[in-house]
Amino acid sequence: MKAIIILSALGLATMFVGVYNFKKALLPMILLGLLAVIGINTMEWNTNIHYYNDMLYFDNWAVSFTNLILAVSILVFLLSGQYFKKNTDHLEDNYSIIIFTIIGAILMVSYSNLAMLFIGIETLSISLYILAGSKKTSLASNEASLKYFLMGSFATGFLLFGIVLLYGASGTFHLHGIKDYVIENHASLPTIFYVGILLMMVGLAFKISIVPFHFWTADVYEGSPTLITAFMATVVKIAGFAAFLRLFFTCFSSITEHFVPILCILAVLTMFLGNITAVYQNNFKRMLAFSSISHAGYMLLAIIALKESSFIAILLYTAAYSVATITAFAVLLMIKAAHQENDSIDTFNGLAKRSPFMAFTLTIAMLSLAGIPITGGFFAKYYLFANTISAGYTWLVVLAVFNSAIGVYYYFKVIIAAYFKEGSEEKLSIFPAYQLVLIITAIATLLLGILPGLITEMM
Amino acid sequence: MAPYFFYFLAFLAIFSALMVVFSKNPVYSVLFLVMTFFAIAGQYILLNAQFLAVVHIIVYAGAIMVLFLFVVMLLNLNKELEPHKSSLLKLAGVIASGILMLTLIGTFRGATEQVVGAGLSDGLTYNNQVGLVKNLGKVLFSDFLLPFELSSILFLSAMVGAVMLGKRDKEPIEL
Repeated sequence: MKAIIILSALGLATMFVGVYNFKKALLPMILLGLLAVIGINTMEWNTNIHYYNDMLYFDNWAVSFTNLILAVSILVFLLSGQYFKKNTDHLEDNYSIIIFTIIGAILMVSYSNLAMLFIGIETLSISLYILAGSKKTSLASNEASLKYFLMGSFATGFLLFGIVLLYGASGTFHLHGIKDYVIENHASLPTIFYVGILLMMVGLAFKISIVPFHFWTADVYEGSPTLITAFMATVVKIAGFAAFLRLFFTCFSSITEHFVPILCILAVLTMFLGNITAVYQNNFKRMLAFSSISHAGYMLLAIIALKESSFIAILLYTAAYSVATITAFAVLLMIKAAHQENDSIDTFNGLAKRSPFMAFTLTIAMLSLAGIPITGGFFAKYYLFANTISAGYTWLVVLAVFNSAIGVYYYFKVIIAAYFKEGSEEKLSIFPAYQLVLIITAIATLLLGILPGLITEMM
Repeated sequence: MAPYFFYFLAFLAIFSALMVVFSKNPVYSVLFLVMTFFAIAGQYILLNAQFLAVVHIIVYAGAIMVLFLFVVMLLNLNKELEPHKSSLLKLAGVIASGILMLTLIGTFRGATEQVVGAGLSDGLTYNNQVGLVKNLGKVLFSDFLLPFELSSILFLSAMVGAVMLGKRDKEPIEL
């Protein structure tokens, strides 16, 4: 809660600093602000406070997901300095909208009332529609924004209808109220309640791009400004999955038999479609878009298992995935900053000769995304799959492992391009901020892989 | 008397909603949409939710529809410019929305008995004063104060975005 208040003030301050033309002070102020928010937010650890008539509930899960979102946002902001320098005239507007997006994401991980869930999703989405179109003169960016907006508002309609039906059946918006209602009327739940669950599932599945609600993903990721894509691919996934799990774990964990079969089908479709389509992509951003779809498929397994440990699984997985994705986008941004090239995988050709450091960090990120041992991605996948097996869905894990094997193919395509293909010989220089981000993400990826106990023991 | 009003308004709403889709002229579509909104506002009044009805008319029939009309007139849409959708796509649309419609019809048939049967009848009784401005305001500024305040962030970011997208860049950025 304190995080939300401070971030709102930070967003306003950002706009005012922009008005008075202290543009140099903007980025340091935001970074310091975000670090302070992480500190203050961590102080709510173990307090479990219900805020304002149980609208928000900051349990340890909410605190840790909030910290993860803030940490990822700091990385994105570190990248933004150089990126926005040549891409926009509206620095402060972009920054303040990103901060408001973070507030939406925090609401989504800490809500305890469906009204808050809705406000959180809308704050997140509407800000992102704008950010997706923030490269005004690029046709692809405009298309991405409009596509995201139209499809997103359609999905929000489903979500709202779902909320209405749940309210109609249970008479409350509070998660705990709905939970009590489900337990009391276990045997005789009305049909509208089930349809409500189904419609909410559609709305949430859209946000985290589960097949068949994924059609927007590739175009939006490709068309949006690259930095915004990095932000979208990480923060939205974290917030979306945390919200999904929070709702289903709190309210519906006693009636799993009614929706788990649907989730199983969605998970299988998502994994296969995401991975197989990613194999055929030559555009790096599109490949990452489909890879994000396939990762959403793996993470859906945690929601299918629906246990307390699913939270750890999602936290670990989103952390490993976000860190690796940020690395990939940082390297892409750096190469594009050097000389205006396209987003195709060929841009990475000969990267090992041009900048061994970047090639190395990119390799760690790709290995982590593919789930190769000693990286964070491996342990996160291991934990997620073990969690799913202990819930009794071994066949799903078999399919997921098979899919990870397909994933290795296209992630290695990038590594092979970097190390074994001939490209331009010109050395690449690297901005200090980017170097910092790459060092942080590489260390974080290895740390998550070698010492995952840091997170799992803490919970 | 009320049931007749209900059926009349429901018929009007569905009829004009269908006409929105089937009219050839986009301006007619928009006008039929206005009619749909008025019919739904009528339903709100039948439920004694006057505030909702008035807001519905002001926001939707007033502001948003005028915007729609302007956009439609400015774009000068006509039949030649309309892209042709393949019949396969149309069929897919019909099947998908037909399934959704069947699900919803199945859901709402007998929903009242089910909801009451599931135990709502004893605890909660419907308060027919709940939609009045006074009661709504009380709930909004006590129980739902936080969402009410936080929606300001939503509007602020939408506003900043609108200004940002509308402002002219100092120099055109390369494509």
